[in-house]
Amino acid sequence: MADWAVTPGRSTGHTLLAVRQVRRLLARLASHLMVMAVGLFFLVPFLWMLSTALKSDQDVFRVPPTWLPHDNLYVQVGDQQLPMYRVTIEGHTRQLALQSIAEGYGIFLDPANPAQTEKIRMRYAEPVLVVGLRWRNFVDAMNRATRPGLGVTFWTYVQNSLIVAIFSIIGTLVSCAPAAYGFARIRWPGRDLVFILVLATMMLPFQVTMIPLYIFFTTRLGWSNTFLPLIVPTFFGNAFDIFLLRQFFRTIPEELADAARVDGASEFRIFWNIMLPLSVPVLATITVFTFLWAWNDFQGPLIYLTDPRRFTMALGLQDFQQQHAVAWNQLMAAATIFTVPIVVLFFFAQRTFIQGVKLTGLKG
Amino acid sequence: MALTNTPRVHPGRSPKRWSPRTRRQLWTGLAFISLWICGFFLFNLYPMLASLYYSFTEYHIKQPLVWIGSLNYVNLVRDPLFWRSLYNTGYMVVIGVPLSLIVSFICALLLNIKIPGQSIYRVIYFLPSIVPVVASTLLWLWILNPNSGLLNTLLAEVGIRGPNWTRDPFWAKPSLILLGLWGVGNTIIIYLAGLQDIPQTLMEAAELDGASWWQRLWKITIPLVSPITLFNLIIGVIATFQYFAQAYVLSAGISPVGSGLGAPLNSTLFYSVYLYQQGFVYLKMGYASAQAWILFVIILICTVLLLRSSEHWTYYEGG
Repeated sequence: MADWAVTPGRSTGHTLLAVRQVRRLLARLASHLMVMAVGLFFLVPFLWMLSTALKSDQDVFRVPPTWLPHDNLYVQVGDQQLPMYRVTIEGHTRQLALQSIAEGYGIFLDPANPAQTEKIRMRYAEPVLVVGLRWRNFVDAMNRATRPGLGVTFWTYVQNSLIVAIFSIIGTLVSCAPAAYGFARIRWPGRDLVFILVLATMMLPFQVTMIPLYIFFTTRLGWSNTFLPLIVPTFFGNAFDIFLLRQFFRTIPEELADAARVDGASEFRIFWNIMLPLSVPVLATITVFTFLWAWNDFQGPLIYLTDPRRFTMALGLQDFQQQHAVAWNQLMAAATIFTVPIVVLFFFAQRTFIQGVKLTGLKG
Repeated sequence: MALTNTPRVHPGRSPKRWSPRTRRQLWTGLAFISLWICGFFLFNLYPMLASLYYSFTEYHIKQPLVWIGSLNYVNLVRDPLFWRSLYNTGYMVVIGVPLSLIVSFICALLLNIKIPGQSIYRVIYFLPSIVPVVASTLLWLWILNPNSGLLNTLLAEVGIRGPNWTRDPFWAKPSLILLGLWGVGNTIIIYLAGLQDIPQTLMEAAELDGASWWQRLWKITIPLVSPITLFNLIIGVIATFQYFAQAYVLSAGISPVGSGLGAPLNSTLFYSVYLYQQGFVYLKMGYASAQAWILFVIILICTVLLLRSSEHWTYYEGG
C-alpha cells in the first residue's frame, strides 16, 4: 500500500511532497477511523447497560429498542402521581391519567377535572412517553427483596462482597510479604528449590483442589455458608503475589539491610522497618489485584454459599436474574453498581493495573 | 560483618555439618515462609493427593466412600457427555483462543498508532476486561437477546436477520466467543508492551530499504512478538480449559430455574461445567475428581506441546 510510484518527469519535487502529505494524511485519517470503530465495539455495550438501567419497565422491551430511555409522563393528581395515556374514544384522542386497571379496563380521569372518571378498554390507550432517566431503578434494584420472605436485598450482597474482599486483602498481605522476603533476601540452603515449588503450584488447576477442599471445609470443619473457606486460604500465601513481591524485594540495595545488621537489627526488624515501608507501591498493587479477584470470584462463592443471606454480588446478581427474569432494567442497574467500584478503582490505579497485567497476563 | 555468600558445606555432606550461621539462616528463612509452607501442605499437596485418591472411589459426601479402582476412568471414557464437554472445550480452544489472539494483536497495532486521544482509546479498549464476569455475561445475554436485543436490531437495520444467539445450540459457543472478544483488554496490553519494545531503528531501516507496511508486519513485527504470542497462547489455553462462570451464567439465564447446565442442548457443557455438575449438583465427588485429574493431565500435555512446538515458531533476539 505504501510503495506508491510517482511518475517522474511531470511532477516537480513540490507536488511530490504534496502527494506524500495527502497520502500520509489519508492514511492517518483511515487508521483513526478504524481505532474509533473498534473503540465503539468496546464502548457501546457499556452505554447500552447504562441506557437499559435508566429505562422504564415498558421501555425495556420496546421493538425496535431506543437509545434514549423513555418513561411514562406522570402528572400530579391530588396526592397521587398518575401516568398519562393517549386514549382514543370514537375517533377522538384525549390525554387522560390512568388511575387503576381491572380486567382489561382502565379507570381514567382528566387531570383538569379529577372528579369525573371514565372506564375504557386498555387496548384503546397508549402511554404518553417522554425522554426521562429513571434513576429510581438504581434505588429499587438495591432495595429489592431478591428472595421473598428472607429480607435479603442487593445491599446484603454488597456488604458480603466487601467483607470477603477486605479480609482477602489482609490475608494476602500478611502472608505473602514475609514469604517473599524469605525468598528474596535471606540465603538458606534449599531456598531456590523451594521457590520452584512455589511457582509450580501455579500449574495446579483450581478444579483439582476444589473437591477435597470442599469436603474438608464443609464436612470436617462445618464451614459451609460462611466466608471462611473463601478467606482463610488467603492467609497462607499464593504463588503469584509472592513472586511479584520477591521480584521487588530483590531490587532494594543490600547496603540498606547491611547497615541495619551492623547495628544489630534482627531480620524481622529489617523486614518490618526497612523493606515494608519501601514496598508500599507493590503492596498497593497487590491490594488492587486481590480486591479485583475477590470481587469477581464466582465459582468459590457458588460452591460454598447456598444461603442467599451470605451471597456475594457475583452470586446475588446471577440469582437476581434467575428469580426475576424480566426486570432487565433493574438487573442492568445492579450490574452497573457491581461494575462501578472496579471502574473507579481503575481510574485511580491505572498504572498499577497495566503493570500488573503486563507482569502476569492476569484473569482467565 | 562480612557476608559469606557460599555456606562452607561440601555437596553430599549431611546438614549437621552446616555452620551455625547457615543453620540460623535456614531457620530464619523457614520462619519467614512458614505460612506459605503450611498453605502448601494444606491447600496444595493434601488436596492434590486426596483428589487423586477420591478419583478411585465412589464418594457421595454423606455416604462412606468405596474404593472402586479405575472404574471412574473407565466410565468417563464411556460417557458421551464427557466427550461432548471435551468437544465443546476443544471448540473454544481451537477457534476461540486463536481468534482472541488475532483480535488482541490487531487492537494492539491500532493502539500503537500515534493519533490524538490515544490514551483515551487505550482506556476504552481495556475497560471491558475488568468488568466482573457475571456482570459482563448478563450484559451480553441482554445484547444478544434475539427479539429486543441490541445486536439483532442493528443487524436488522442492514437487512440481516440475526440468529437466536445464546438460545440456538449452533450459535451459543460463538456468542460466548464474542463475549470473550469484548474482554481481551489484558491480552491487548501485553501485546502493546511487546510492540513498544520493538526498536524503532529496525522499522526505519526496513522502511528505507523499501519494505512495505505489510512486509514489515510479517518480517519484523510478528516474529518479534512471537514469544508474547506463545505466552498468551499458553495462558489462553489453560484458562479455556477452566472456562466456567460465563457458561454457567449463560445456561442459567436461558433455562428455567434450577434446570439445564450446558443449555441449550448441552452446547455449552464445557469441561469444567460438566465437572461442577457431577461434583456439586449430583454430588459424585469421585467421578468429578477423576475428571479433575484428567484435566490436570490435559493441561500439562497442552503446555508441554505448545512449548515444544514453539521452538519452531518463536524468535528470540540474540538467541
